Amino acid sequence: METAATHPVSHAHGQLAHGHGHEHGHLKLHYQPALPISNGKLMMWLFLSTEIMFFAGLIAVYIVLRFGALTWPSQSAVHLEERIGFINTFVLICSSVTVVLSLEACRSHNPAMAKMWLAATLALGGVFLAIKAYEYNQKFLHGIYPRYPRSQIYERPDLEYGSAVRVRAQELLVPLQTAGYDKPLSAAQTRRLKRLEAAAQRSPQEEQAYRRLRARREGYERFRFLQDLKTRASSTQPDVLAALAAEIMPIRPRGSHEHLEGLNDLNPWLKMPIVIPGGNMWASTYFTLTGFHALHVLVGLIVFAIMMPMRFTPDRANMIENIGLYWHFVDIVWIFLFPLLYLF
Amino acid sequence: MSDHAVAHGTGHGGASHAHGGLGKYLAVFVALCALSTASFFTTSQHWPYHDQPSVGWAFMMAVSCTKALLVVLFFMHVKYEANWKYVLTIPASLMALFLGLALVPDIGMRVRGGFNYGYSEERYRHAAQASDTLALEQASRRVGAHSKGANSESLHSEGAHGEGAHGAPGNAASGGQGH
Repeated sequence: METAATHPVSHAHGQLAHGHGHEHGHLKLHYQPALPISNGKLMMWLFLSTEIMFFAGLIAVYIVLRFGALTWPSQSAVHLEERIGFINTFVLICSSVTVVLSLEACRSHNPAMAKMWLAATLALGGVFLAIKAYEYNQKFLHGIYPRYPRSQIYERPDLEYGSAVRVRAQELLVPLQTAGYDKPLSAAQTRRLKRLEAAAQRSPQEEQAYRRLRARREGYERFRFLQDLKTRASSTQPDVLAALAAEIMPIRPRGSHEHLEGLNDLNPWLKMPIVIPGGNMWASTYFTLTGFHALHVLVGLIVFAIMMPMRFTPDRANMIENIGLYWHFVDIVWIFLFPLLYLF
Repeated sequence: MSDHAVAHGTGHGGASHAHGGLGKYLAVFVALCALSTASFFTTSQHWPYHDQPSVGWAFMMAVSCTKALLVVLFFMHVKYEANWKYVLTIPASLMALFLGLALVPDIGMRVRGGFNYGYSEERYRHAAQASDTLALEQASRRVGAHSKGANSESLHSEGAHGEGAHGAPGNAASGGQGH
């Protein structure tokens, strides 16, 4: 204790300084007052051990929910593309290599090279987040949200789902009725529209009339389309409701590779409620796991960005090593998340 | 600054330069890519165990553990660290393991049944069943076959595909909504 107190830095050199009070001459004790690493690195490892527990907890919860669920959506049902996850895995592995090369360059007195590799890491991390953002957007476009705005996912095609479809159809029908699109064109109007359509040249007045008539015809078509959906959603037959749900957003059977498009895909304005059995639990776990991971990537990128203006002389190697440890950890988390979320 | 001073600065001792090497990092990189591809291979049609998903799951987890080990040992340099590494990594790994194991009874209780698979009455009534997934998949298959037919007059194929397309109900009614 005494030695450690009087020579607090002695461990950094791996040996005791000589010539103080209780020297025994023949006995050279190599007393280590702490772990033989820098404080920064020690703290990073302590932090990482808490992070290991954090992500282990999250992943374990996912596994419990995933395998305890009565049914779990297939990847295609939730618009998850394995290929994109695979590309992201590759991007993160590359960024792990670049950060380790940056450290090596810094240690071997090559600050310019170190900076270049660090910039490459920053760019690759950015690519990862951009791909992630694209994926999230795909989910949002299909009505799958973490929570707000209200998720449009229904668990089963039951009466509750049918009434949700009716509510949405009514929402869309009201403005059509207000605009007077709930009545078909008269025979005379239809003839006029046909004539205007066939005309090679239209005067400004004719053009206006043509647009108005066409809008009315299309509005009426949409009105009938929504009326039809509403009628079918009023059914109490389970198979009718299942067929309706499948038409709004089809679920590709496992093992099939054909591309199915539903009414929601064909008509982006429709935004009908959808049925994905197990989809709500899937969305919760997916957004929680990938969200926390993306947050960690973002933090790493912020640190890289702060470091960029620095000059990477060899005494900065500690810093690169520590952020590198963090970055590799983020990579390891993704190594587990990728198969668990995309391939299981 | 001399090499000696660098070694002190990094806190590694003299061995800090012995374990680097572009070759080793490249080898690890290639191994990681190959292992990722191996995981991805389980989705391909040539993977022979599609009827037994647990084989694929076990395989992928083994691959992931190998990948994680490679990153920890070589990229995080744990292979070359002194014995202090055990002080930090072993307790953390054990805690992580216990966290996971503590949840195992939950899995057991759920899948081994009990009344309503351990769901509450209320939740079970609204929960999706495997039969719901099956019904939807079958209905989707019929929809797919239907839309692939020559029936281009069906209402849903007239949807708003693009701007200015004749006969697309999308354009007119979006104007209607604006009123």
